[in-house]
Amino acid sequence: MTHRRARVASEDHRPAGHLTGTRPIIGLVDPVTLAIHATPAFVASAVEFVEATTIVLAVGVTRGWRAPLVGTIAATVTLAIIIATLGVAIVTIVPELLLKGIVGALLLLFGLRWLRKAVLRFAGIVAVHDEELIYQRELAELRAQGLQRKEFDWIGFLVAYKAVLLEGTEVAFIVIAFGAAGGTALTAATVGAIAAGLFVIALGAALRQPLTMVPENWLKFGVGAMLCSFGVFWFAEALGMAWPGDALSIPLIVAAFLVASWLAVRMLRALLPEGAQVEARNV
Amino acid sequence: MFRGIWSTLVGLLIEDGQLAIGALIALAITWALASAGGDAAQQVVGWVLLAMVLALVVANLYRAGVTARARVSSARR
Repeated sequence: MTHRRARVASEDHRPAGHLTGTRPIIGLVDPVTLAIHATPAFVASAVEFVEATTIVLAVGVTRGWRAPLVGTIAATVTLAIIIATLGVAIVTIVPELLLKGIVGALLLLFGLRWLRKAVLRFAGIVAVHDEELIYQRELAELRAQGLQRKEFDWIGFLVAYKAVLLEGTEVAFIVIAFGAAGGTALTAATVGAIAAGLFVIALGAALRQPLTMVPENWLKFGVGAMLCSFGVFWFAEALGMAWPGDALSIPLIVAAFLVASWLAVRMLRALLPEGAQVEARNV
Repeated sequence: MFRGIWSTLVGLLIEDGQLAIGALIALAITWALASAGGDAAQQVVGWVLLAMVLALVVANLYRAGVTARARVSSARR
């Protein structure tokens, strides 16, 4: 067993490109490795960015753009400081296999929560999380508070700061979790999150309305399945298992989660054909 | 930020507590199997964990469906 663990530990430091046996093409990262690690981080981060962008848009449209943009920049700087201190410390101090095991367990726990809620929403048991509803609620609350023209809009600043910081913390967690293997994985996860941020912000800026066209529950469904899959994959790897085809077995695990979830949706629809509007915490 | 972390923890351990406990038990069984089962067991722990988690998800959702049905029918009465 010790022998096997030593082998796995040494494999964790293999050069980029080991997953598929292909030669690295983009710097040190081959495209398959980049896609495997960047896509989940991209999709998961996009969900968080959609929520933050919706709130910043609501503030900007009703109260002007200066305060929410300053709030967004302030939150981004705060996040950068948090990631630079906590994130780097965690990745450098904790042993790699232990970190994989802990992060794998956390990903599985968080992923199961997302997946459960997404399945309940698809089955019509829990109300679908509606970005349009959030946008209209934010608009109504902000309009009710009023604003005097020449003052700096601290309410707008704080609402945007809070939203970007909260959702950004989740993005930071996603990047650290998906990049826990270090090196290539961390680079790919960061690239995925940055790309998601740019994509969602560009979409929001172009449309200047809530991002209701993004099918949020589908995203959460997919992200839940991916988080669970990475959780299972890393936890087993931390225990010394060598998955067949290494990271290429991840799509298989994702497919297993999607099939089980689809079966669960059908089962729930059979149990409650007319659906129900129950809060998730009550079922 | 702390409020966000707190609400996540509450959601994870209280709202979805049974699912979280089930997942932790599955992780513990997997760890015990890998520690006690030798090299052969180590090479299948991932599949065992996957099977346990999939069964857990389906069982938890079935229970959620039954609970929701009971709530709906009691609300109609």
